Amino acid sequence: MTDPKPARTDAELRRTMAEFSVPSEPGNERLAMETVAEAIRDLDIRGENLERLKTAVAEATMNAMEHGNKYRAEVPVEVMVLVEDRDLMVRITDRGSGPPPSQGGDTPDLEAKLEGMQTPRGWGLFLIKSMVDEMSITGDDGHHTIELVVHLGAEGGK
Amino acid sequence: MAVRHLNVEVRLESDVAVLDLMGEINGFAEEALNTAYQQAHAKDTNTILLNFEGVDYINSTGIALIVGLLAKARASHKRLLACNLSEHYVEIFNITRLSDFMGIFPDEQSAVSEISAS
Repeated sequence: MTDPKPARTDAELRRTMAEFSVPSEPGNERLAMETVAEAIRDLDIRGENLERLKTAVAEATMNAMEHGNKYRAEVPVEVMVLVEDRDLMVRITDRGSGPPPSQGGDTPDLEAKLEGMQTPRGWGLFLIKSMVDEMSITGDDGHHTIELVVHLGAEGGK
Repeated sequence: MAVRHLNVEVRLESDVAVLDLMGEINGFAEEALNTAYQQAHAKDTNTILLNFEGVDYINSTGIALIVGLLAKARASHKRLLACNLSEHYVEIFNITRLSDFMGIFPDEQSAVSEISAS
Protein backbone atom coordinates (compact mmCIF):
# COMPACT_ATOMS: atom_id res chain seq x y z
CA MET A 1 0.00 0.00 0.00
CA THR A 2 1.39 3.33 -0.96
CA ASP A 3 1.02 6.47 1.05
CA PRO A 4 -2.09 8.37 0.07
CA LYS A 5 -1.42 11.49 -1.93
CA PRO A 6 -2.08 14.66 0.00
CA ALA A 7 -5.33 16.34 -0.94
CA ARG A 8 -4.82 18.96 -3.62
CA THR A 9 -5.61 22.51 -2.62
CA ASP A 10 -7.75 24.88 -4.67
CA ALA A 11 -4.57 26.71 -5.68
CA GLU A 12 -3.13 23.50 -7.11
CA LEU A 13 -6.34 22.69 -8.94
CA ARG A 14 -6.80 26.15 -10.42
CA ARG A 15 -4.13 28.12 -12.23
CA THR A 16 -4.59 31.65 -13.53
CA MET A 17 -2.92 31.91 -16.92
CA ALA A 18 -3.73 35.57 -17.58
CA GLU A 19 -5.78 38.44 -16.27
CA PHE A 20 -6.09 41.64 -18.27
CA SER A 21 -8.53 44.24 -19.54
CA VAL A 22 -9.16 46.01 -22.84
CA PRO A 23 -10.88 49.36 -23.47
CA SER A 24 -14.31 49.06 -25.08
CA GLU A 25 -13.32 50.25 -28.53
CA PRO A 26 -14.23 48.59 -31.84
CA GLY A 27 -11.49 46.23 -32.98
CA ASN A 28 -10.18 45.47 -29.49
CA GLU A 29 -11.70 42.00 -29.61
CA ARG A 30 -8.65 41.00 -31.65
CA LEU A 31 -6.36 42.26 -28.90
CA ALA A 32 -8.25 40.11 -26.37
CA MET A 33 -8.20 37.12 -28.70
CA GLU A 34 -4.46 37.31 -29.38
CA THR A 35 -3.63 37.91 -25.70
CA VAL A 36 -5.58 34.80 -24.69
CA ALA A 37 -3.87 32.78 -27.44
CA GLU A 38 -0.46 33.91 -26.17
CA ALA A 39 -1.38 33.06 -22.57
CA ILE A 40 -2.26 29.46 -23.44
CA ARG A 41 0.55 28.79 -25.90
CA ASP A 42 1.95 26.05 -23.65
CA LEU A 43 -1.36 24.19 -23.43
CA ASP A 44 -2.27 21.43 -25.83
CA ILE A 45 -4.65 23.54 -27.91
CA ARG A 46 -3.46 23.82 -31.47
CA GLY A 47 -4.61 24.33 -35.02
CA GLU A 48 -8.34 24.39 -35.61
CA ASN A 49 -9.12 24.01 -31.89
CA LEU A 50 -7.13 27.15 -31.14
CA GLU A 51 -8.88 29.01 -33.98
CA ARG A 52 -12.27 28.04 -32.54
CA LEU A 53 -11.35 29.32 -29.08
CA LYS A 54 -10.00 32.56 -30.57
CA THR A 55 -13.25 33.16 -32.43
CA ALA A 56 -15.28 32.51 -29.26
CA VAL A 57 -13.11 34.92 -27.25
CA ALA A 58 -13.36 37.60 -29.94
CA GLU A 59 -17.14 37.31 -30.21
CA ALA A 60 -17.65 37.31 -26.43
CA THR A 61 -15.43 40.38 -26.10
CA MET A 62 -17.35 42.13 -28.88
CA ASN A 63 -20.64 41.40 -27.10
CA ALA A 64 -19.22 42.74 -23.84
CA MET A 65 -17.91 45.93 -25.47
CA GLU A 66 -21.07 46.56 -27.49
CA HIS A 67 -23.99 45.39 -25.37
CA GLY A 68 -22.50 45.59 -21.86
CA ASN A 69 -20.27 48.65 -22.05
CA LYS A 70 -21.98 50.41 -25.00
CA TYR A 71 -18.56 50.98 -26.59
CA ARG A 72 -17.58 53.50 -23.91
CA ALA A 73 -13.80 53.37 -24.27
CA GLU A 74 -13.19 54.27 -20.63
CA VAL A 75 -15.15 51.22 -19.45
CA PRO A 76 -12.96 48.12 -19.65
CA VAL A 77 -13.79 44.56 -20.51
CA GLU A 78 -12.00 42.26 -18.08
CA VAL A 79 -10.64 38.91 -19.19
CA MET A 80 -9.46 36.07 -16.97
CA VAL A 81 -7.94 32.85 -18.27
CA LEU A 82 -7.89 29.88 -15.91
CA VAL A 83 -7.06 26.21 -16.01
CA GLU A 84 -8.95 24.09 -13.51
CA ASP A 85 -8.39 20.36 -13.51
CA ARG A 86 -8.89 19.44 -17.20
CA ASP A 87 -10.82 22.54 -18.24
CA LEU A 88 -9.62 25.78 -19.75
CA MET A 89 -11.93 28.63 -18.78
CA VAL A 90 -12.04 32.15 -20.20
CA ARG A 91 -14.20 34.59 -18.26
CA ILE A 92 -15.10 37.86 -19.95
CA THR A 93 -16.77 40.51 -17.80
CA ASP A 94 -18.43 43.79 -18.76
CA ARG A 95 -20.11 46.50 -16.69
CA GLY A 96 -23.59 45.89 -18.02
CA SER A 97 -26.57 46.42 -15.79
CA GLY A 98 -29.88 44.63 -15.63
CA PRO A 99 -30.48 40.94 -16.06
CA PRO A 100 -27.78 38.99 -17.90
CA PRO A 101 -28.41 38.45 -21.60
CA SER A 102 -30.23 35.33 -22.67
CA GLN A 103 -28.01 32.27 -23.12
CA GLY A 104 -29.47 32.28 -26.65
CA GLY A 105 -27.35 30.70 -29.30
CA ASP A 106 -30.11 29.07 -31.35
CA THR A 107 -29.21 28.62 -35.00
CA PRO A 108 -30.08 31.87 -36.80
CA ASP A 109 -32.59 31.60 -39.64
CA LEU A 110 -30.43 32.37 -42.67
CA GLU A 111 -33.34 32.10 -45.12
CA ALA A 112 -35.26 34.77 -43.18
CA LYS A 113 -32.20 37.00 -43.20
CA LEU A 114 -31.72 36.54 -46.96
CA GLU A 115 -35.38 37.38 -47.57
CA GLY A 116 -35.02 40.58 -45.53
CA MET A 117 -37.43 39.34 -42.83
CA GLN A 118 -34.70 39.47 -40.16
CA THR A 119 -31.64 41.63 -39.66
CA PRO A 120 -28.49 40.08 -41.18
CA ARG A 121 -26.84 40.39 -37.75
CA GLY A 122 -27.30 38.18 -34.70
CA TRP A 123 -24.55 35.57 -35.20
CA GLY A 124 -22.40 36.26 -32.13
CA LEU A 125 -23.86 33.99 -29.43
CA PHE A 126 -24.47 31.23 -31.96
CA LEU A 127 -20.82 31.34 -33.05
CA ILE A 128 -19.60 31.34 -29.44
CA LYS A 129 -21.72 28.32 -28.53
CA SER A 130 -20.57 26.50 -31.65
CA MET A 131 -16.89 27.09 -30.96
CA VAL A 132 -16.46 25.92 -27.34
CA ASP A 133 -17.52 22.94 -25.24
CA GLU A 134 -19.58 24.98 -22.76
CA MET A 135 -20.80 28.54 -22.44
CA SER A 136 -22.66 30.24 -19.62
CA ILE A 137 -23.66 33.81 -18.81
CA THR A 138 -24.08 35.15 -15.29
CA GLY A 139 -24.59 38.60 -13.89
CA ASP A 140 -25.29 40.85 -10.94
CA ASP A 141 -26.29 44.49 -10.58
CA GLY A 142 -23.25 45.92 -12.34
CA HIS A 143 -21.56 43.11 -14.23
CA HIS A 144 -22.20 40.40 -16.78
CA THR A 145 -19.75 37.54 -17.20
CA ILE A 146 -19.63 35.07 -20.04
CA GLU A 147 -17.63 31.94 -19.29
CA LEU A 148 -16.20 29.84 -22.09
CA VAL A 149 -15.01 26.31 -21.29
CA VAL A 150 -12.83 24.06 -23.41
CA HIS A 151 -12.21 20.54 -22.15
CA LEU A 152 -8.51 19.79 -22.35
CA GLY A 153 -7.70 16.30 -23.46
CA ALA A 154 -6.99 14.20 -26.47
CA GLU A 155 -9.20 16.39 -28.60
CA GLY A 156 -7.97 19.64 -27.06
CA GLY A 157 -11.24 21.41 -27.72
CA LYS A 158 -14.59 20.99 -29.37
CA MET B 1 -3.48 46.18 -32.09
CA ALA B 2 -4.18 48.14 -35.27
CA VAL B 3 -7.21 47.16 -37.31
CA ARG B 4 -6.35 46.08 -40.86
CA HIS B 5 -9.04 47.97 -42.72
CA LEU B 6 -10.49 46.16 -45.69
CA ASN B 7 -9.22 47.04 -49.14
CA VAL B 8 -10.99 45.54 -52.16
CA GLU B 9 -9.94 45.37 -55.80
CA VAL B 10 -12.46 44.41 -58.46
CA ARG B 11 -11.49 42.71 -61.72
CA LEU B 12 -13.02 40.63 -64.50
CA GLU B 13 -11.81 37.04 -64.98
CA SER B 14 -13.45 34.85 -67.66
CA ASP B 15 -16.90 36.39 -67.24
CA VAL B 16 -16.64 36.32 -63.46
CA ALA B 17 -16.38 39.53 -61.44
CA VAL B 18 -13.74 38.87 -58.80
CA LEU B 19 -13.47 40.84 -55.57
CA ASP B 20 -9.97 40.52 -54.10
CA LEU B 21 -10.49 41.12 -50.39
CA MET B 22 -7.51 42.24 -48.31
CA GLY B 23 -7.71 42.98 -44.58
CA GLU B 24 -10.32 42.29 -41.92
CA ILE B 25 -14.03 41.77 -42.54
CA ASN B 26 -15.62 43.47 -39.56
CA GLY B 27 -17.80 46.49 -38.91
CA PHE B 28 -15.23 48.80 -40.47
CA ALA B 29 -15.50 46.91 -43.79
CA GLU B 30 -19.09 47.79 -44.65
CA GLU B 31 -18.46 50.73 -46.97
CA ALA B 32 -15.52 49.13 -48.79
CA LEU B 33 -17.39 45.87 -49.27
CA ASN B 34 -20.62 47.44 -50.50
CA THR B 35 -18.81 49.85 -52.84
CA ALA B 36 -16.82 46.98 -54.34
CA TYR B 37 -19.94 44.89 -54.71
CA GLN B 38 -21.62 47.69 -56.66
CA GLN B 39 -18.59 47.88 -58.97
CA ALA B 40 -18.73 44.13 -59.48
CA HIS B 41 -22.47 44.26 -60.09
CA ALA B 42 -21.91 46.91 -62.77
CA LYS B 43 -19.66 44.52 -64.71
CA ASP B 44 -22.86 42.73 -65.67
CA THR B 45 -21.68 39.18 -65.10
CA ASN B 46 -23.85 36.36 -63.83
CA THR B 47 -21.31 35.42 -61.17
CA ILE B 48 -19.44 37.34 -58.48
CA LEU B 49 -16.51 35.65 -56.72
CA LEU B 50 -15.30 36.75 -53.29
CA ASN B 51 -11.59 35.96 -53.04
CA PHE B 52 -10.65 35.70 -49.35
CA GLU B 53 -6.94 35.04 -49.91
CA GLY B 54 -5.92 38.30 -48.23
CA VAL B 55 -8.36 38.00 -45.31
CA ASP B 56 -7.17 36.78 -41.92
CA TYR B 57 -10.11 37.78 -39.74
CA ILE B 58 -13.90 37.71 -40.12
CA ASN B 59 -16.14 38.44 -37.16
CA SER B 60 -19.89 38.10 -36.70
CA THR B 61 -20.47 41.60 -38.08
CA GLY B 62 -18.46 40.55 -41.13
CA ILE B 63 -20.65 37.46 -41.48
CA ALA B 64 -23.67 39.77 -41.45
CA LEU B 65 -22.12 41.88 -44.21
CA ILE B 66 -21.59 38.76 -46.32
CA VAL B 67 -25.22 37.74 -45.69
CA GLY B 68 -26.18 41.18 -46.99
CA LEU B 69 -24.14 40.70 -50.18
CA LEU B 70 -25.68 37.27 -50.68
CA ALA B 71 -29.16 38.74 -50.31
CA LYS B 72 -28.36 41.38 -52.95
CA ALA B 73 -26.94 38.77 -55.31
CA ARG B 74 -29.99 36.54 -54.96
CA ALA B 75 -32.32 39.48 -55.52
CA SER B 76 -30.58 40.24 -58.82
CA HIS B 77 -30.31 36.54 -59.80
CA LYS B 78 -26.54 36.46 -59.61
CA ARG B 79 -24.40 33.65 -58.19
CA LEU B 80 -22.15 34.59 -55.32
CA LEU B 81 -19.13 32.32 -54.76
CA ALA B 82 -16.23 32.28 -52.32
CA CYS B 83 -12.68 31.01 -52.63
CA ASN B 84 -9.45 30.84 -50.62
CA LEU B 85 -11.17 30.67 -47.25
CA SER B 86 -9.03 29.18 -44.48
CA GLU B 87 -10.11 25.86 -42.96
CA HIS B 88 -11.51 27.72 -39.96
CA TYR B 89 -13.66 30.05 -42.01
CA VAL B 90 -14.88 27.20 -44.20
CA GLU B 91 -16.16 25.67 -40.95
CA ILE B 92 -17.85 28.94 -40.04
CA PHE B 93 -19.45 29.19 -43.48
CA ASN B 94 -20.69 25.63 -42.95
CA ILE B 95 -22.18 26.11 -39.49
CA THR B 96 -23.82 29.41 -40.46
CA ARG B 97 -25.16 27.62 -43.58
CA LEU B 98 -23.70 30.29 -45.87
CA SER B 99 -22.15 27.41 -47.79
CA ASP B 100 -25.67 26.13 -48.59
CA PHE B 101 -26.30 29.29 -50.60
CA MET B 102 -22.91 30.16 -52.06
CA GLY B 103 -20.39 27.84 -53.64
CA ILE B 104 -17.15 27.50 -51.68
CA PHE B 105 -14.00 26.74 -53.68
CA PRO B 106 -10.44 26.10 -52.50
CA ASP B 107 -8.97 28.57 -54.98
CA GLU B 108 -9.87 30.99 -57.76
CA GLN B 109 -8.94 28.63 -60.57
CA SER B 110 -11.33 25.92 -59.43
CA ALA B 111 -14.14 28.45 -59.01
CA VAL B 112 -13.65 29.96 -62.47
CA SER B 113 -13.30 26.50 -64.05
CA GLU B 114 -16.56 25.40 -62.46
CA ILE B 115 -18.36 28.46 -63.81
CA SER B 116 -16.85 28.06 -67.27
CA ALA B 117 -17.92 24.41 -67.40
CA SER B 118 -21.49 25.07 -66.24
